[in-house]
Amino acid sequence: MSRLILLLLVVSAGVLGAGLWIPLKALVAQELLTLAWAESEARQAQIRPWPWADTWPAARLALPAEERPMVVLAGAHGESLAFGPGLVVAGERGRGPVVIAGHRDTHFRALKELSRGEQVRLQHPGGRWQGFQVVGTRVVDSRYEMISTADLAEDVLLLVTCYPFDSVDSNGPLRYVVEARELPHIPAGSTPLVTVAGQ
Amino acid sequence: MLLSVLLPAPDVRSASAARPLSRRPRRSLRWVEGVSVWLVMLLLLFVHPLYAEAADEPRPETGASFHFLSADGRWQAPAMVLTTDYRVTVTGLVAQTRLRQEFANTGREWREGVFVFPLPADASVHGLTMVAGERRIVGEIQSREMAQRAYEAARDHGQQAARVDQQRPNLFTTRLANIPPGESVTVELQYQQLVRYQSGEFELRLPTTLTPRYMPGRPASNPSRQWQEGWAVATTEVADAERISPFTVATADVADASHRARVAVTVNAGLPVARVTSPSHALTTTWNGSAVTVTPTEELVTMDRDFVLRWQPVRGAEPAAAVFRETWQGEEYLLAMLVPGLDNGQWLARELVFVIDTSGSMAGESIRQARAALLEGLATLTPDDRFNVIRFDSETRSLFIDSVAASANNLARARRYVMALEADGGTEMAPALDAALGSEGTPGLVRQVVFITDGAVGNEAALFARIRNQLGNSRLFTVGIGSAPNMHFMREAARYGRGTYTAISDLATLAEPLAGLFGKMKAPVLTDLQVQWPGADSGEAVFPRRPGDLFAGEPLLQLAKDKGASGELIVSGRLPDGSQWQQPLDLDQAAPGSGLHRLWARHKVDSLQDQNFDGQVSDAVRREITGIAVRHQLMTPYTSLVAVDKSPARPLEEDLVAESVPTLLPAGSTTGMLRYPATATAAPLLIGLGLTGLMFALAATMLRRRVFQ
Repeated sequence: MSRLILLLLVVSAGVLGAGLWIPLKALVAQELLTLAWAESEARQAQIRPWPWADTWPAARLALPAEERPMVVLAGAHGESLAFGPGLVVAGERGRGPVVIAGHRDTHFRALKELSRGEQVRLQHPGGRWQGFQVVGTRVVDSRYEMISTADLAEDVLLLVTCYPFDSVDSNGPLRYVVEARELPHIPAGSTPLVTVAGQ
Repeated sequence: MLLSVLLPAPDVRSASAARPLSRRPRRSLRWVEGVSVWLVMLLLLFVHPLYAEAADEPRPETGASFHFLSADGRWQAPAMVLTTDYRVTVTGLVAQTRLRQEFANTGREWREGVFVFPLPADASVHGLTMVAGERRIVGEIQSREMAQRAYEAARDHGQQAARVDQQRPNLFTTRLANIPPGESVTVELQYQQLVRYQSGEFELRLPTTLTPRYMPGRPASNPSRQWQEGWAVATTEVADAERISPFTVATADVADASHRARVAVTVNAGLPVARVTSPSHALTTTWNGSAVTVTPTEELVTMDRDFVLRWQPVRGAEPAAAVFRETWQGEEYLLAMLVPGLDNGQWLARELVFVIDTSGSMAGESIRQARAALLEGLATLTPDDRFNVIRFDSETRSLFIDSVAASANNLARARRYVMALEADGGTEMAPALDAALGSEGTPGLVRQVVFITDGAVGNEAALFARIRNQLGNSRLFTVGIGSAPNMHFMREAARYGRGTYTAISDLATLAEPLAGLFGKMKAPVLTDLQVQWPGADSGEAVFPRRPGDLFAGEPLLQLAKDKGASGELIVSGRLPDGSQWQQPLDLDQAAPGSGLHRLWARHKVDSLQDQNFDGQVSDAVRREITGIAVRHQLMTPYTSLVAVDKSPARPLEEDLVAESVPTLLPAGSTTGMLRYPATATAAPLLIGLGLTGLMFALAATMLRRRVFQ
């Protein structure tokens, strides 16, 4: 009997640990990624955050709820999303639509609070900041709707995460999409963000 | 928060261990109880949102996602499972296919299934049978409006009904009303096509899916946000965009058994067959006398690519001519084939313009194939030739302002340019055609345009008109790319462009079809073809009325309706050097054929439609086409097949839910339509499970202590 209880205890602790490891990994990875971003900015190259990484920092995203910008990775496959939001569609040479996807349980939990009219900023390699204003949010079903890159406007930024926010189902079909439009211009002095390289 | 609560635990334990032994059980019990209370609270905190979620059923709010909400706004999962079965019998040059589409309704409501599917570009559809359980209802040809009315009336009265419409010559829609929950209904189609024969090889192509098409133009009007059949809305240039844009999903997104096809092809070539191959699927071949039965090695193939089958006659037995004859309703129908024996000795200096499609639908495997095809084309150039490369997506750009000499320098530059091409954006094909065909060309050189594309556009008819009007002295050749190219576009664009076409489906096997195409482009062409039928005047009943030019290895095909033609058919033409070429064909040695009258009728309908380019067909022509279609039981743009079971199936108080069955994304394609990525982790589930488990373990410990004390 006590053995059974012990087994249950150990297994549960293990499962809990595995569950907690995911947000922890997301936190730690962002620290490493911020370093890699600073380095890639300084050296003007694609720096892999750790030697075996299959992705690299591609941009930084500042949401109003977070005090520090998040590093966005290139591509959005399963592994890379564990470390940071992924750039699904990247505009060519800083032009064109941008689509970023992130995990609902970690980096993009803050999308829940993002509402119409709020501002989101995106920093491209080279340090240029681009400002976006949220114009709307909606829920889509990923089984039926797709992102049609040809139909996206030039100045649009889509932030995608899973929906509903408190679901335990990690394979649900619904997605929460925040649509933001580019603001005409950000004054150079108004970037409120601390960069690691600048510290 | 979780961490801060859980972390103090070890400290507490070490403190309690230091206490005197006698007080220990009681203390530790307290401690365990305390931790449990915390855990329960945590769990409640954590589980609460789940309850909230269950109470507040999520559902999409806006946008094009209405089609999976039922009329009363309830959430609705896709419930249709589709399996198809192609049974093809090839006799001589004609392939007869029985296509079975089985729609299984796994949902709890009665359903109407809508499925947009491709057929071969020259298919003549002539039979529809609806099979529901024991009942077989044979459909009939009616004018499109009548068929629609009959179908809708039956649907609204709860009767089972099936209807098949032609949207494009190679694109059809099946509608099936009142499929009972938990049951399946089958639609059986019969169609015929001609087998393609060229350079001593026969080819049969069974398309199973389509590449999502680009719809040029601006949205026509405010689209209704009602249940939509397709992802596209009508535009100023493609009025029926919604009907030709089925939702396209990845194979993983349909039910496990859905979108699978069984294929069985029996080839009665009428001559000894040396080998049967397929660039698209692995084959199992059974030889049975002179007939060959071919099936894919996999019993059920995924419907994400065309099934292509090629067979070659034994060396020396390649047919040079063939005549088939059929008597139908007292009329004689003839199919004559003649392969001119041209030898390619002389080569001409040429001006080659390569046009490559870099639109979003080409992304993935397709653009790699297109780049490889273009590089192969560049390799065929000789220093006497001139060339240019044009790319198009939403915009058209050309590498050189005008054609340049094929010097090593220019070729190297072109190769670098081609290798850097990426696929992105729309498919605005018209400006690219203008750029390719607009220029006059260099005097003394033969001007040839090679158009490399997947043909994924919705405005084919307008493009064909543009090709015909601007062609001048050029010739247009098309190369179909990808797992499911629009072969109707390839064939017709090449026909209007006085060229020929090919398709490549795989990077590994593209050399052979391309070598064939580039070989034909270099070789002399037989022009000014005249066909003289015996007897007085049968010109009205012979199709194609004006045969196009013949390239090396290509046969001349003629379909005729004749009242007992006998004697010799004389085919004459002119070679590039001006000399005359002539060959007779004896009609009396005809082999019996079947279904020739339908092929003839299909060609007649096509030629009637060709008279009016912009798709505006006069009422008289429309009536004539409908008359032919009804007589030969043939599907056309103006006639549909419909089958109605008179006995009602669905009690009228129960709802009917319409559902579009999606098509699969062609293999290797990533298209401009991106899937939303998976963006959730298992963390909440793991944390929840872990906490629950810990709680139970502690509760059990506590209980045991209490019991034994």
